[in-house]
Amino acid sequence: MSKYIVQMKAIEKSFNVSKVLHGVDFSLKEGSIHALLGENGTGKTTLMNILGGVLPANSGEIYIDGEKTAIAKPNDATEKGIAFIHQELTLINDLNVYENLFLGTELKTGILLNQKDMAVRSREILDKMEVDLDPHTMVRDLNASYKQIVEIARALLKNARVIIMDEPTASLTDVEIEHIFTLMRGLKKKGVSFVFISHKLNEVIKICDEYTIMRDGRVVADGNLTEDITENDLAKHMVGKELSYDDLFKTRNLGDVILETKGLSRDKEFSDINLTVRRGEIVGVTGLLGDGRSEVLGTVYGCNTDYKGDIFIEGEHVRMHSTPKAKKLGISYVPRSRKENGIVKDLSVAENMSLSILSRLKTAGLISKSKQFDSNDRYVKNLNIKVSDIDGLITSLSGGNQQKVILAKALGSEPKLVILDNPTQGVDIGAKLEIYSIIMNLAAQGVSFVVLSSEAQEILRLCDRIYVMYHGKMKKMFNRDEATEEKIMVVATGGTIDRERADRA
Amino acid sequence: MISLHKKFDFKNFITENSALVALILLFIVSIVLQGTTFLSFRNIINILRNNSIIGIVALGMTLIIIIGGIDLSVGSQLALTGLIAISVINVTQNIVLGILACVAAGIVLGIITGGFVAKFRIPAFIVTLGTLTIYRSVAQYWFSGGGLMISGKVSDSFISISNTNLFGTIPLPIVFWLILSVLVALFMSKTPTGRYIYAVGSNEKATKLSGINADRVKIITFAIAGLLVALAAIVEAARLGSINSASSGTSYEMDAIAAVVIGGTSMSGGRGKIVGTVFGTLTIGIINNMMNLLGVPPFLVGAVKGFIIIAAVLLQKRLDRKEMS
Repeated sequence: MSKYIVQMKAIEKSFNVSKVLHGVDFSLKEGSIHALLGENGTGKTTLMNILGGVLPANSGEIYIDGEKTAIAKPNDATEKGIAFIHQELTLINDLNVYENLFLGTELKTGILLNQKDMAVRSREILDKMEVDLDPHTMVRDLNASYKQIVEIARALLKNARVIIMDEPTASLTDVEIEHIFTLMRGLKKKGVSFVFISHKLNEVIKICDEYTIMRDGRVVADGNLTEDITENDLAKHMVGKELSYDDLFKTRNLGDVILETKGLSRDKEFSDINLTVRRGEIVGVTGLLGDGRSEVLGTVYGCNTDYKGDIFIEGEHVRMHSTPKAKKLGISYVPRSRKENGIVKDLSVAENMSLSILSRLKTAGLISKSKQFDSNDRYVKNLNIKVSDIDGLITSLSGGNQQKVILAKALGSEPKLVILDNPTQGVDIGAKLEIYSIIMNLAAQGVSFVVLSSEAQEILRLCDRIYVMYHGKMKKMFNRDEATEEKIMVVATGGTIDRERADRA
Repeated sequence: MISLHKKFDFKNFITENSALVALILLFIVSIVLQGTTFLSFRNIINILRNNSIIGIVALGMTLIIIIGGIDLSVGSQLALTGLIAISVINVTQNIVLGILACVAAGIVLGIITGGFVAKFRIPAFIVTLGTLTIYRSVAQYWFSGGGLMISGKVSDSFISISNTNLFGTIPLPIVFWLILSVLVALFMSKTPTGRYIYAVGSNEKATKLSGINADRVKIITFAIAGLLVALAAIVEAARLGSINSASSGTSYEMDAIAAVVIGGTSMSGGRGKIVGTVFGTLTIGIINNMMNLLGVPPFLVGAVKGFIIIAAVLLQKRLDRKEMS
């Protein structure tokens, strides 16, 4: 029906001796949202970098509007109307919206900036996008979804007709994601095409028209995303085998209460939080971004000294005033935002993994290389971490493997309770399932977990009980058998589930 | 699955040891320019001895820069702790007591700086800009801007600390510098605290969330650096037999920071090696020596030195970039 705006044919690409793209074909229709799927390291980003002029292809052809085109550098791509929005946004917080939009292409009168025209032009673009946003707003004051919107506006300002988005929803809340999706649907009607790279298959199903799935540098499936295609169908192609979460959850015998908070409060962040976790239990805490769940569990881990209320560990009342104290009491923590809070980028994989247990790896006061090696090797095997050189920098690993290293670090101290904040961030489906089963197996051995996530599916798959927070308050606790995605959403957005009324109806 | 042994990679070796490469280049240039004089045993020993005090100070500076800080006050610290050492020895006529007092003072000064940096979250640059003038001013007020000479019957034995030659050939300050360099290098690469210093400098938040007391690591770092400055102060005091409250240690911070930077330590923290700093100190030493031998006018020495520092760091950056691409 609609014509192809981009066609890539038989694209081949090698880095040194390893071939990462084996003759890939990729076609994008005008006014279509096209999902580009695949596990980490299958060549999606390489393919898009070739389209965006960031990397040259070894062979193959690119057609834009049916015409053979050479894209040698990013500027060529921009000229052809192709924009690449990277996972890490490139906005400058200390400038306002229109200054960011025109960064590098400022309008000038003589040698002075023409601020008025820039503001007016920005307003036009935002109006076209049907976004209500004042171009004079400082970018630092915008929430994550508006920042994403400014990135899209910047692409449109350069007359982009193809917008490549690499994991655009990774750091957004559900409401913000819906916001972006509405915008994308509107632009689609105006003839703008999108390439949507994401690990979140439920979103792909919701928003995309077509799909291309890659595995090991080849296209393994593509077509229209019709109604009858399910997440499982897509996942199966991505990993090359049937993936099932059905056997994941195991019923376990739970022990005594290991963590209890009573009336836990902190300034404006959260108030009156009562929470219990039993030995071997997996407890989920969910809600929208800004619900305060990270702050609550951060406090339990000793990150904040100025809290009110009481924390009991194995029945004993404790003041959690520092993270070493929490560690000593057998708690460990996998923080959200791996890059900022998780990895130590200048240390090697081995050094990151053993960071929290160095005191146990000593011989005569010095770190024993062989003890460190043995301890790490165990986790590399148990968690199936793919690492070619354990003494190489942690940044040389893929996101999923970095996350497993952080998990290994947390498990290394043999904790009784592990707090996992957004544990599968940027992790592909195969590795996700692996992480879930690691959690489940450890829980069966008596380790307790608190899983913080805004992905309701993740919580529902793993947890024995689910707490839902809203604006710093604990709104409701569901047992596993009574929780559904819908009920969680209602409570997380501030609604109430009135059982009496439901019964009467 | 994972192997302990890595193949030797020449290119990698060059980039990781760019400080050594720069030093060797400089060495060759020096031989070409002033072959026999430069290479004479006396001249080499001279270079090493003249830079051993800065070398010791630079070891502590490396730790501080790796953890993401900087210490501008090392020169004033050196004057103050040196004066304490001589005062105590003059009064008690006990060298050991003097050294202990000096070392204790150095550690306390380090803890003060570290405390402000860790507990009150003031940048080290600001804290030490303050202590730089405070310590100097205290020292000058104490001795009315003058100096203090070692006196009494223990003077000769005190002075011999820095003016004795091991095996009759190698001055002791060089030996002290070497031993301390090895100890600090071992500390950084082999002890948990050493590794925590790298971790805090690279990502303090992630380190804290791994259950490590980052504040304590910072204070320990500054305390160790203070201890090293105090040891350098003893070597200096013993070498000259006196410390001057106004002039001793002035601009030592500049040479120490330059040595660390030339040695390849990242100013943003998290990366750096002690051996690099040793090479960096030698580089500065050779530059000073060469300009002396070549008869560069004294007032031009600073300009040439500054130029070479920037050039050395530029060279490293280029090597680093090649590594990344």
